[in-house]
Amino acid sequence: MSRESTLVGRTRARPGAFGFLTDTTLCIGCKACEVACKQWNQLPMDDFGFTGMSYDNTGDLGATTWRHVAFIERVADREGRRPTRLQPFQSNWLMLSDVCKHCVNAGCMEACPTGAIIRTEFDTVVIQQDICNGCGYCVPACPFGVPALSPLDGKAHKCTLCYDRLKDGLEPACSKACPTDAIQFGPVHALMDRAKARVAELRAQGVEAQIYGDEALGGTGGIGGLNAFFILTAPPEVYNLPAAPELPQRRVLPAFLTTALAALALGLATLVTFWRSKEVRHD
Amino acid sequence: MTEIRRWQHRRAPGEPVSAETRDSYYGLPVIHGPHWRWSIVFYFVLGGLAGGSAVLAAAARLVGGHWARPIVRVGRYLAFLAVLPGPLLLIIDLGRPERFHHMLRVVKLRSPMSLGVWGLIGFTATAFLNALQQAAEDGWLGQRNPAAHFLRRLPARILAAASTLPAFFLAGYTGVLLGATAVPLWARNALRLGPLFLCSALSSAAAMLALLVGRGPGNARARHALERVEQVALLGELVLLEAVQRGSGPVVGRPLSNGLEGWAYAGTRLSAGVALGLHIVTKMLPRRLRPPLRLVASLVALGGAFLLRAAMIFGGRRSAEDPAATFAITRRPEDPARQAR
Ligand code: SF4
Ligand code: SF4
Repeated sequence: MSRESTLVGRTRARPGAFGFLTDTTLCIGCKACEVACKQWNQLPMDDFGFTGMSYDNTGDLGATTWRHVAFIERVADREGRRPTRLQPFQSNWLMLSDVCKHCVNAGCMEACPTGAIIRTEFDTVVIQQDICNGCGYCVPACPFGVPALSPLDGKAHKCTLCYDRLKDGLEPACSKACPTDAIQFGPVHALMDRAKARVAELRAQGVEAQIYGDEALGGTGGIGGLNAFFILTAPPEVYNLPAAPELPQRRVLPAFLTTALAALALGLATLVTFWRSKEVRHD
Repeated sequence: MTEIRRWQHRRAPGEPVSAETRDSYYGLPVIHGPHWRWSIVFYFVLGGLAGGSAVLAAAARLVGGHWARPIVRVGRYLAFLAVLPGPLLLIIDLGRPERFHHMLRVVKLRSPMSLGVWGLIGFTATAFLNALQQAAEDGWLGQRNPAAHFLRRLPARILAAASTLPAFFLAGYTGVLLGATAVPLWARNALRLGPLFLCSALSSAAAMLALLVGRGPGNARARHALERVEQVALLGELVLLEAVQRGSGPVVGRPLSNGLEGWAYAGTRLSAGVALGLHIVTKMLPRRLRPPLRLVASLVALGGAFLLRAAMIFGGRRSAEDPAATFAITRRPEDPARQAR
């Protein structure tokens, strides 16, 4: 068995962690999750526009969009082959309801200099709005492009996994609203078992399904898995997801070491230069 | 008030949709770029200048003799004056400036921005003490003033040594800060950005001090020593600039090779090369031609330090918008498309 395959289906999520399983093979692209999220979290309307691509006029996750349904029309694959057959159960449309991944080791949280981003008792990642000062460092520190600064209040926003609803024993608004149960909420380890069974079932039917959000795919490079994970039927890049992202903070210590080395070299060079400096007669 | 959504800056409008969905999601950016703009560029430049000046002043105090006093003097003042606008530039960049003090709630060792805040405070404190002692020595605080007397008696060598660590930190942590993000251009060069910013900090500080110590014959030796340091730093900078471009590769390095950011990056390399070349050539020229050429060399080196920060920050913003660049650093090793990077 290769190293890869031992990582499939493995996550470092803590035992009590809650998360989402978003099964794209069940998604019908109704956007009920987007609407439910906006309603529950009282998020203002986005600046409407016509993207001119597929049926997706939402475009991406943002400060006021915490669920985003991506629509991909399979016109041709990477080799330029056009599909001539339908995959079982599927049209040649792929739909994925994207969301904050609530990473096991979250880049946004480690970056935040104010400690505004916390890990809750449900092992989800939440930005405390009374702490965030809008420095914007979490925005490029997220490997998945999730948080964004809002021009309305200057602070960073993203999915809270409905922290307020979880506190009251309710499931998040999006999974509650999803008519096909493409979005399932529950304990991460139970969801992961369910995902593995579902992927095995899909593969038996000839669908090239895979889990995105275990340590082999999506939760790589020190991220340790994603508490909100997905079942995909195409390469992650097609859904705008990085296949093997890295926790950015893994680079902090090595980068400080090379910087310290450079400082040492430059400091010594300066000392030696000043030490050996001679009287100059003419300028 | 409206937010720029990722799909509003899709690349390659003329491309057929089939090409857009083949390797990315309709050419949309994968990650969100930072919002940082000019105030951060200026902060990076000034932080480098301040840190570099403090390093030079400290080295001059530690091993330089009487001849090095002008470096100590000007270096200590410059370090403090250059860092003063820093906090202001950072605060106006915040989405909620009135909450700047929330940065002081925590110390996070894995967050370069959190460390940077504390480093900036530490640097400002040591630079302030050094500048204050210099002011006392220069008689700005009055001769009989007991405070000035006390300041003059503080151990200057220890003060100098104490300022070096925060000075190097201030000049270099900004590179680490950029490297610890998902932005492809910065992530790819995480190990090189800190050393690159350090070299640029030292060269720009040496150039600035050489300009400021004065033209008099009494300062010739100090100026000469500063120019040597500047040359060493410029050499390091040139090597690292090349390493960054090569290490980025054709896809991730796109912002360094075309567009405005590409011009800025080329300008950085040109100015480092020109400044270094001028310093070398000047030695072979008749004496009366030397001062103006040296002046030009120093000004060019200072301009290069500015261009470098601008190219890196705006280049990073552009690289975040390029899905091909993100995928180039996040594809699985066995993915055949990884070869294309
Ligand atoms: S997906 Fe991004 S925003 Fe969500 S927890 Fe992970 S790093 Fe943070
Ligand atoms: S923008 Fe807010 S949540 Fe994001 S890193 Fe800065 S303080 Fe933390």
